[in-house]
Amino acid sequence: MAQTERTNLWEHMNDELRWNVDNLVEMAVTGKVSQPAVRRGGYTPWPDGVGVMLPGMSGIIYSARVGDRAFGWAGDHVEPGVSIAHTDERADFALHYLTCIGNEAEVMTGFARGAKGIVTGEHARILVDFAPEVLEDMTIGDTIQIRTVGRGIRLEDHPGIEFKKTSPALANALGLRADGGRIHCPVAMELPPRIMGSGAELNAEFVDQDLMSGDRALMAELGIDQMRLGDLIGIRNVDHRFGRSYRDGWVAICICIHGDSVMTGHGPGILTLMTGPADLLEFDVDPAANIAHTLGIRGQA
Amino acid sequence: MNNELATNLDDLIAVSVAGHIAHPGFPGLPAEPYRLTSDGTPFLLPTYGGIVYNVSVGDRAFGWAADCIHPGVSILQADDNQNRGLNVFACIGNRAKVMTGGAAGTTGVVTGKSGRFSEQVIVHIPLEARTQMAVGDQVLVRAEGIGLELTDHPDVTLKGISPQLLAALPVQEREGHVAFGVSAHIPPHLIGAGLGLTSQGGSVHMQSTDRALLAELGLDDLRLGDLVALEDTDSRYNHGYLRGARAIGVVCATDGPRAGYGPGIAILMTAPGGQLGSFEDTGTNIVDLLDVTG
Repeated sequence: MAQTERTNLWEHMNDELRWNVDNLVEMAVTGKVSQPAVRRGGYTPWPDGVGVMLPGMSGIIYSARVGDRAFGWAGDHVEPGVSIAHTDERADFALHYLTCIGNEAEVMTGFARGAKGIVTGEHARILVDFAPEVLEDMTIGDTIQIRTVGRGIRLEDHPGIEFKKTSPALANALGLRADGGRIHCPVAMELPPRIMGSGAELNAEFVDQDLMSGDRALMAELGIDQMRLGDLIGIRNVDHRFGRSYRDGWVAICICIHGDSVMTGHGPGILTLMTGPADLLEFDVDPAANIAHTLGIRGQA
Repeated sequence: MNNELATNLDDLIAVSVAGHIAHPGFPGLPAEPYRLTSDGTPFLLPTYGGIVYNVSVGDRAFGWAADCIHPGVSILQADDNQNRGLNVFACIGNRAKVMTGGAAGTTGVVTGKSGRFSEQVIVHIPLEARTQMAVGDQVLVRAEGIGLELTDHPDVTLKGISPQLLAALPVQEREGHVAFGVSAHIPPHLIGAGLGLTSQGGSVHMQSTDRALLAELGLDDLRLGDLVALEDTDSRYNHGYLRGARAIGVVCATDGPRAGYGPGIAILMTAPGGQLGSFEDTGTNIVDLLDVTG
């Protein structure tokens, strides 16, 4: 995105909220479009043990895009758009730790060279959205460069709220508003902490935590099965600052980055964007809270 | 005194699996040696692996200046697949024997396992013998228990429990239902690291960030070796949330300061829909059930 456009973006940010965007460092990182891989005998078990072999992770996904449903695909951990990684481990961790949701990406090699995309998630690989016609021109191994910016972002008047993986573009798109000392964020739905699963073993700066969809009746009862890729999600009584754990009176605001899974303890991927104590951070349910339109991924709303 | 649960014991295979005492490890420079507490404070403390001289099964699980310590000795295989063979086939309650080094010939017992990022098998060796051992010594486990079934309760899946430990558990049995005595019940919102990871071997941790809640539920006085029930947890294929499901395991590693990493629990059995129950039986611990000494 050109510098002038960025400046415009800042100007459109909610006047009540003062961000430290002028102090953020913008830096390039790259990854290559990954090849899906299947390990020998690589069945994935349903909770009753029946094994299946399904696509979903890595590569170029043509049929699922941010804004589409998170549940019901004949796939496992479906990663919308293009999944990129770096072959050098240290460079790959830089790709993981510096990239923020909403960062701009550009295809640097191949037929689609010059095409622009938007980062929509971080899973085992970084997930980038490109328009369908761009995907048609891309291949495994194409280099994607990301202009990372957002690491270190904060609200000047609300230091008690911590942001993760939040680009200035996403910060603007979240629809935050201040109500006294408290920040409100619209979310598409609330998840109960007892169904937050795989990812509890990781630090909270790395990838996501799956919601556990194994209780299918509960998914329907609570309407969780209506979740869409790119939905903003609220969770009460969890602290996502340094790991993700149960703590009474804390709140996390997250985003759904990948699709459902058949595996016990897994489900749609919920990536942390904000966390703080409940007297500083609150969410309000609005089923339309999804980045597909607010980030301009599928046209403006 | 043994219970009278019907099993397929006569069909089980007993097979050797071996491991070597694991060396404690830290990531190399430029990585920081610190881990973070759930409040973000860096800490540098002893953690899993090695020979531990002053923590044994039966001791308290909380309050150590340490991060998820394995009591006794921890063993593994250098090769990934062979280590998986060790971690999956070794069952809680199996006999272990020191095969090399200064304590060669000493027998012990498997008391736990650990999962992602460590993947070790935890063995109790009497304290006196531990002082004779060296990192790298080989420990052989007579692995027996994988394939074990409760023939009258086919919906209960047994996971890495030895026939000896199964036979020693306090039990209440009725048609279509079997319940076991446990020291504590852990609610599903306090299950942590290990969710979504394999339940063939390894462990799942309870959470301990919310200390006030632990105190309220009386969970902060758990001991290593205590039997615990995990409510609404389905551990048949991975660990995950399911209303009505239950898993029963043994506390096998101490608490730690990290988010998601309270005491480690090796799962012994699970059922998805009410076929497995548990009842409060304060102090139920494998030290007594397996007559662990030293």
